[in-house]
Amino acid sequence: MKPIFGLLAMAAIAFAMPAFAADTLYADMGGQAVIDRLVDVSVDNYLADDRIKTIFDESNMDRIRAEFKVQFCQVAGGPCVYTGHDMTAAHKGLHLTNADFNAVVEDLQAAMNTCDIPFRVQNRFLARLAPYQHQVVTR
Amino acid sequence: MRFRFGASILAGFLLSTPAMADDQSRPMVNFDEGRLLATGGVSAVEGEGGGGLAPWALITGYGTRDGVGVTVHHTYVGLPDYQLLTPGIAVGLFDRLELSYAWQAFDTEATGAALKLGQGFTFHQNIFGAKLKLIGDAVYDQDSWLPQIAIGLQHKENDRGAIIAAVGGKASVGTDYYLAATKLFLAESLLTSVALRATKANQFGILGFGGDRHDIYSAQLETSAAFLFSRKFAVGGEFRTKPNNLGVAREDAAFDIFAAYFLNKDLSLTAAYVDLGNIVLHDHQDGGYLSLQAGL
Amino acid sequence: MKNILPALLLLASCGAALAADPAHTVIQSGRAFHPAEVSINRGEALTFTNNDEFIHQIFVDGLFDSDERSPGENLTENFTQSGTFEVHCHIHPKMKLIVHVK
Repeated sequence: MKPIFGLLAMAAIAFAMPAFAADTLYADMGGQAVIDRLVDVSVDNYLADDRIKTIFDESNMDRIRAEFKVQFCQVAGGPCVYTGHDMTAAHKGLHLTNADFNAVVEDLQAAMNTCDIPFRVQNRFLARLAPYQHQVVTR
Repeated sequence: MRFRFGASILAGFLLSTPAMADDQSRPMVNFDEGRLLATGGVSAVEGEGGGGLAPWALITGYGTRDGVGVTVHHTYVGLPDYQLLTPGIAVGLFDRLELSYAWQAFDTEATGAALKLGQGFTFHQNIFGAKLKLIGDAVYDQDSWLPQIAIGLQHKENDRGAIIAAVGGKASVGTDYYLAATKLFLAESLLTSVALRATKANQFGILGFGGDRHDIYSAQLETSAAFLFSRKFAVGGEFRTKPNNLGVAREDAAFDIFAAYFLNKDLSLTAAYVDLGNIVLHDHQDGGYLSLQAGL
Repeated sequence: MKNILPALLLLASCGAALAADPAHTVIQSGRAFHPAEVSINRGEALTFTNNDEFIHQIFVDGLFDSDERSPGENLTENFTQSGTFEVHCHIHPKMKLIVHVK
């Protein structure tokens, strides 16, 4: 009985692991049309979120939306090259906390739900964004 | 009169002074609930943050490194011949240190009568836990193989010293030490955790510590895996080995299959099928596990 | 003409002093220009010093649109037309500097 459990665990892990195949995240998210919509919905969410909306008070939101669209495209493996500011330089002056970063993640998750991106695909995308915490959070 | 006046001045000063923050509006104790849902795990059977059976390297609650979080829980385990009830409380400090207290009541039901102890004879334990995160961040370190690693201890005090001695146990008080490594493979929606525990505890300490067969610390392995179905729902399994210190009763490894539902950052419910193997006189002690965790 | 060199040197040093002097320096800090309003003569230059924690650039609609400068860097812009101009930053729309050029 007990060894079977170990085998089940290994099977579960094997099922969960993606095969080492080509990077299909951009297509699995729905391509640029969905990413553009995702950026617009998520930014609307940030600006409506009392926890973080003041972070954007002095920002050029048109510019930020445009930069997010290119950056998300690149992060997802799409045919874009982000040439904007590096994340450390862009965020240093904002003195952001982990709570700020996590609030953005939660708003982004809600936006991904709105855009009907499947949960497992959402997590693949978030996994690529998570390490930006090291550059974005300085407080 | 002068004392009361002075006390109220002091109270007013303390209540109005923000402390130790860049941002003047942040209070000294910040229940920021800033961590992401489910990233505190649930409450394990000995009171620490983790799965149901095993400690995880995650710090309980939703406090970020800038704040604190408190969780309270109540757990029920119903087995064919025994029952365990264990309420507890834990506090996570600055996503770094976790302190926990759990009280366990292990009811022997009819076995108590069979052992001439009395129907419903119950063992009680106080478990004081501490866990310190050493390195790593299970959520953010998605670009690294490094897990989140924590060390911890659980100091357990059992109130049935005489019975423990009668079954061959060497002590009614004992301390477990553990090292836990937890990794969230977010791209795979999978959480895994491994802990190594140094312990002398018999049946989690319910039958004391050390025994007539062995009275030394042994290393035990505790593993968990959980698959995230949605932001609020995870399913997984755990496996925990246990020492065999007592001659009177063989002790088996424990395992469970669980489902955890996180309603929000204030409430989660975990239900599991748990198999604890042999517990004194009775094999196949498997049954239901139900745990409710509430947080601040 | 007697020795013209001293006169030329004096003129040159005046020009250099004008460029470096506080009257022709604008500090970028706290995502704002300091001072927020300045008066200069036609042909003179303003030096923008980034003392902020953010990358900035400057533009005047129809006149110039500069490159970006990181904290610690500066740039100098000549004002060759008379009038009153608003200097802005593409990255931080609320930043505004009013320049009166005589």
